[in-house]
Amino acid sequence: MTSGISKRINKIQFALLSPDEIRKMSQVKVITADTYDDDGYPIERGLMDLHMGVIEPGLKCATCGGKVDECHGHFGHVELAMPVVHVGFIKEIKTFLDATCKECSRIKLTEDQINSFKAKLSTVDFSSTDPEVIGSITKKVTDEASARAVCPHCGAQQKKVILDKPTTFREEGIKVTPKEIRERLERIPNDDLVFFGLNSSVARPEWMILTALPVPPINVRPSITLETGERSEDDLTHKLVDIIRISQRLRESRDNGSPQLIIEDLWDLLQFHVTTYFDNQTAGIPPARHRSGRALRTLVQRLKGKDGRFRSNLSGKRVNFSARTVISPEPFLSINEVGVPEKAARELTVPVSITIFNVENVRNLIKLGPEPRDEFGKYTAGVNYIIRPDGRRIKVTIQNAEENSKRIEPGWIVERQLMEGDIVLFNRQPSLHRMSMMAHNVRILSGQTFRFNLAVCTPYNADFDGDEMNLHIIQKEEARAEAKIIMRVQEQIMSPRFGGPIIGGIHDHITATFLLTHLNPRFTYEETVHMLSYVDVEKMPEPEIIDGKKYFRGRDIFSVTLPEGLYVKFKSKLCSSAKGQCEYEEDIRDTFVTIENGKLTTGTIDEASVGPFSGEIINKIFRRFGQEAAAKFIDRMTRLAVGFLSMRGFTTGISDYDIPENAVNRIREISESAIQRIEKLIEAYNSNLIQALPGRSLEETLEIEILSETGKVRDESGKIASAYLGLTNSSVIMARSGARAKMLNISEVAGMVGQQSVRGGRINRGYNQRTLSHFKPGDIGANARGFVKSSYKSGLNPLEYFLHSIGGREGLVDIAVRTSRSGYMQRRLINAFEDLKVDEDRRVEDTIGSVIQLKYGEDGIDPTRSERGELVDIDDLIFNLQEAETE
Amino acid sequence: MKAIVWKDTKKNIDMLLKKHQVKYAVDFAPSNAKIEKGYISTDGINFQFEVAIGSVSPFKDDADVLKKKTGLISVLTLEELRPVNRHISDFRFNGKKIAKLTGFMEGEIKELDLVPSATIEEKIDPEVRKVLADAKKMSFDMPLSIAVKIAAKRAEIGEKSYKKLIKLVQEDLVRKAIDPYEAVGIIAAQSIGEPGTQMTMRTFHFAGVREMNVTLGLPRLIEIVDARRIPSTPSMTIYLRKDLEKSEEVARRVVKEIENTTVLDVADVITDVNDLTVSIKLDKAKMEERLVEFSDVSFAVEKVRQVNITPDEKTRTIVLKPQQESFKKLYQVQEQVKVLTIKGLTGIKRAIARKESQDGPYVIYTQGSNLRMVMDIEEVDPYRITTNDIIEISNVLGIEAARNAIYNESERTLQEQGLEVDRRHLMLVADMMSFTGSVRAVGRTGISGRKSSVLARAAFEITTKHLLRAGLLGETDSLTGVAENIIVGQPITLGTGSVNLVYRGNRKSD
Repeated sequence: MTSGISKRINKIQFALLSPDEIRKMSQVKVITADTYDDDGYPIERGLMDLHMGVIEPGLKCATCGGKVDECHGHFGHVELAMPVVHVGFIKEIKTFLDATCKECSRIKLTEDQINSFKAKLSTVDFSSTDPEVIGSITKKVTDEASARAVCPHCGAQQKKVILDKPTTFREEGIKVTPKEIRERLERIPNDDLVFFGLNSSVARPEWMILTALPVPPINVRPSITLETGERSEDDLTHKLVDIIRISQRLRESRDNGSPQLIIEDLWDLLQFHVTTYFDNQTAGIPPARHRSGRALRTLVQRLKGKDGRFRSNLSGKRVNFSARTVISPEPFLSINEVGVPEKAARELTVPVSITIFNVENVRNLIKLGPEPRDEFGKYTAGVNYIIRPDGRRIKVTIQNAEENSKRIEPGWIVERQLMEGDIVLFNRQPSLHRMSMMAHNVRILSGQTFRFNLAVCTPYNADFDGDEMNLHIIQKEEARAEAKIIMRVQEQIMSPRFGGPIIGGIHDHITATFLLTHLNPRFTYEETVHMLSYVDVEKMPEPEIIDGKKYFRGRDIFSVTLPEGLYVKFKSKLCSSAKGQCEYEEDIRDTFVTIENGKLTTGTIDEASVGPFSGEIINKIFRRFGQEAAAKFIDRMTRLAVGFLSMRGFTTGISDYDIPENAVNRIREISESAIQRIEKLIEAYNSNLIQALPGRSLEETLEIEILSETGKVRDESGKIASAYLGLTNSSVIMARSGARAKMLNISEVAGMVGQQSVRGGRINRGYNQRTLSHFKPGDIGANARGFVKSSYKSGLNPLEYFLHSIGGREGLVDIAVRTSRSGYMQRRLINAFEDLKVDEDRRVEDTIGSVIQLKYGEDGIDPTRSERGELVDIDDLIFNLQEAETE
Repeated sequence: MKAIVWKDTKKNIDMLLKKHQVKYAVDFAPSNAKIEKGYISTDGINFQFEVAIGSVSPFKDDADVLKKKTGLISVLTLEELRPVNRHISDFRFNGKKIAKLTGFMEGEIKELDLVPSATIEEKIDPEVRKVLADAKKMSFDMPLSIAVKIAAKRAEIGEKSYKKLIKLVQEDLVRKAIDPYEAVGIIAAQSIGEPGTQMTMRTFHFAGVREMNVTLGLPRLIEIVDARRIPSTPSMTIYLRKDLEKSEEVARRVVKEIENTTVLDVADVITDVNDLTVSIKLDKAKMEERLVEFSDVSFAVEKVRQVNITPDEKTRTIVLKPQQESFKKLYQVQEQVKVLTIKGLTGIKRAIARKESQDGPYVIYTQGSNLRMVMDIEEVDPYRITTNDIIEISNVLGIEAARNAIYNESERTLQEQGLEVDRRHLMLVADMMSFTGSVRAVGRTGISGRKSSVLARAAFEITTKHLLRAGLLGETDSLTGVAENIIVGQPITLGTGSVNLVYRGNRKSD
């Protein structure tokens, strides 16, 4: 911390370990296969030798003298009685044997070839070139050398080496022992190694045959003591025990001249154990198992895959200073805030460095003890720990608070509890985009859950049906500054995906603003005050005085949330039906939103104005007045919405879908007539009167006709139903304002559910030639193929219910399949693109310095700042220009 | 332009190269048309040399003539041999493509109508060009799309505002520029990956035909990103030349020409075990539908080896009798005949011409793709046809076309699903997949597998392979990327991590 500059690792060099190096870095030569003696003390020169580190408190490392937390462990080694091959390098060993002469061990290439290939290879730097490229060059060279049957150097006739998987080599049926292989590899001159893609400065081929085996530090393979006092060793230790045991037996057998057969068997056994020690999933050999029958988790398994070291521990790390709990909504919080339960706030701490400027403040803080409250019983932050410059931590308790407050001095650090206004990171998994983790300001609340404004549900994709979220406390000033500038919720209002707002009012907010502004209703003074009491307004809107009483218009009330100087004009959702013609002919003043100087003059505020993704007002405010104003607008708008709804009340229920008797009858009539028409179609088909559509068979033509028929009925019934359900109906209000559901859903409840489908066609599976045994085989009528003529409200009959479930199941399966597939695609995308960055000239480069784009996105524009992908909003600029001129 | 094409030996070419003028005696009589050029091939497919033909005269025994053989008819005077690179498909013989080069042939060179296209500047509306020039005066390269908009508004806003507007646009663009060191790759990946969960997985029928499915939604997006060799539903959209595009007849003809027709499509194949014959009984209706002539079939059948063929045009039957009398052979012949291609292009299983609107042009949709061959068809507009097979585009048209194909296909897929994703993200994906010159997949076989960092590769997939190989090669990891720095626990090199800032506090002055 003194210099302020942190050191960086320059590079990491990979190499093969030579036997000498293994011995050199070893602190102990392990010779006994035992671990602990009867007293539970590590046996010397055993697998738990104290030279390899300590895992038990109280003991000290015999190598470095460190205690449990201080010693990072040291390697030991085992001398193998006979050499064995390393499984990971089998392929390479094979190429070496194939491409070199068995007599003179030179590569089987003529001098001319050697020179020409050498010229090619000398330009390649092994440590930095793409291994695939090196591989393709060396493959060519070794293939050519392997094909030669006579050594061009010594003229010896070559025998073909066959690899008997996984680890045995045979030459004309006779086994080549690892010892012989090693001898051959030893003789290969350094100069020939380039042809095999071996970097002679870091690797020798004979090192791929093991004579000494490193024993990993005890920290790597700690033993666990169960509650029963029984000791359970790590899988690696078990494997090492096997290796040492067999190695010893092999050594004894060899030394006392046992028959060759026994030695070979033991040698193979040793090879098996060493092989499974590296990789317990080697093809061709059964995995080594624990006594319980569980396969052992050895070196390769430890590294590999999702739960392996790389992906589980290195690419993602566990952290302290974090919390996780259930989330719930809190409309009175700003979008920039998060409510943290007191209980969590007492545990989560922020380190505060004590300086001469804050030492008095901190002293006062410590004096209050670990659970202070103010005079109203409200939470205030206390101090949990005091950290001395030497790293010792002192826990603050009520008893020692007074005393400790006097001890601190500049240079010490205290861990202060969470305080209102602290910046924290808040996250919900799956973290699919950067808006899944945003910075919030802390508000300490009672209760047990995290709480936040509903407008922030969209970026997190959160709801409150039991979702949990994570909170991380920032520990460094630098990080805090970055979080505040970059990660704050208000900074993330605009999505980089499409250049529009991703934070906006949802559900009730939209319903409320819709009701508030549609037809511009009138409110009494009292009502208005109630609503506005939810919003911190500067002044009341202009009243309308009728009969001496003050009234306020809905649009004027909504306008209090808008910043002054805002000018917008756009079509509302109510009138979004493409062709420019509003679907429901209404007063133009209801459908076109006009905001002049922060006053809503015409239009209905709905999803297109304040919703996420589409919210045009949020978009405009953000562009014109910045994130602060946009956040403020969302805060006020959501609060006003809640205030309004709490006054007006809003509910929906089954009675929303009540339609008059004659409507029900009409729907029944049209569904009956549809069924009849389908019958007719089938009849026509059966008597071959149907005309096939171009490029389709008769069956398909029939299906298409029927499908279009059922589609028509559904739409018709929807029309009938919605004719009776107007904007006085809560469900219709929600659908039309874009708050929740579509008109289609309403017609399903009130009118008819319609045709069920699987894979885009009518349901056509189940029994032989029929969907359910209630139908005759070969019946392809409407009912037998999943046409549901009931509505959800009237209820489905059992057959309909079954067929509806079939259609519903497809959706569920689809979601399950989709999430996993898209998850993997995103992982690959992220992995492939994570290193790209824009340089000072707006070029896109990767880490090697290759230029991917000469100008990012061909125009160098940030999609987040673009107008939904467009460079500039010319009309807006012209408007600003003219505005400036008139001033 | 007419030209003579022939295949020649390397030896003769060497001779030709050495001399300036050569008289060349050939067993071939050129037509009367003026012939100025000749093309020489060594392999019968690619033409390596172009030669000017000075004159053609009837053959007379002359000592100064190269190439002596029997049956010589005329003498060509060849001048000025120079290397070219032409493909056999550039030539036409009696209006048809030359399938195989047999001796000397007279061919029409299909000249690419290289009308000098207007330069980009010329294409721009003069009003817009003025705007661009004005912006240039303020040392600002205005993007064209903005200039167009400004030009349209210029009269409306007046000259004074116009100048200010340009300034304003310039300022606006600077403000909207991407921040240096921004991790654009991650943003692009997230922007494409995040909506993936909202996509459907169904395939859709297309162009109203059962066999013509097109993969859409998430599976298609994955396919694009994977850079699959062959997409699961390859298909082409073929436009006809502007002057022919409204003709139903032409459209139908092209459809028949490209649609791969096998014997089974137009005939029944009957195997007579008694006589040991295979007979092809042609169905007239089917033949008419597919525009197949009897002679087409009998010509195609000739490809079957070691059989005696007896065609009978009246009964529309062709009987094949294997020369070798065995059931095994009979079976082989039967199987071979069934799948024998009569006409059409390989790979195109089905083609359908449709009118997009009432008076609109005909557009041909196909199942299966064969870009190279379809492009060569006379009636087809080679500038407008597309295929959804990105790798094929890369092979036929090159990497730039493939890059655009990746972009177009991914954008279309997302748009079809109603998902809004900024085009810059898709461009970055397309560029990243293609900038090395070949299409690379997103994943361990492509981009991720070729990363420079060992640790990054190990952390992605196939961990052990990369670690072991790193040891042999003595690879060094210079820790420049994101994944490897996370692994060793250092700040990453993107965004704020790529800037070093040192605060030197005020020194206490004593």
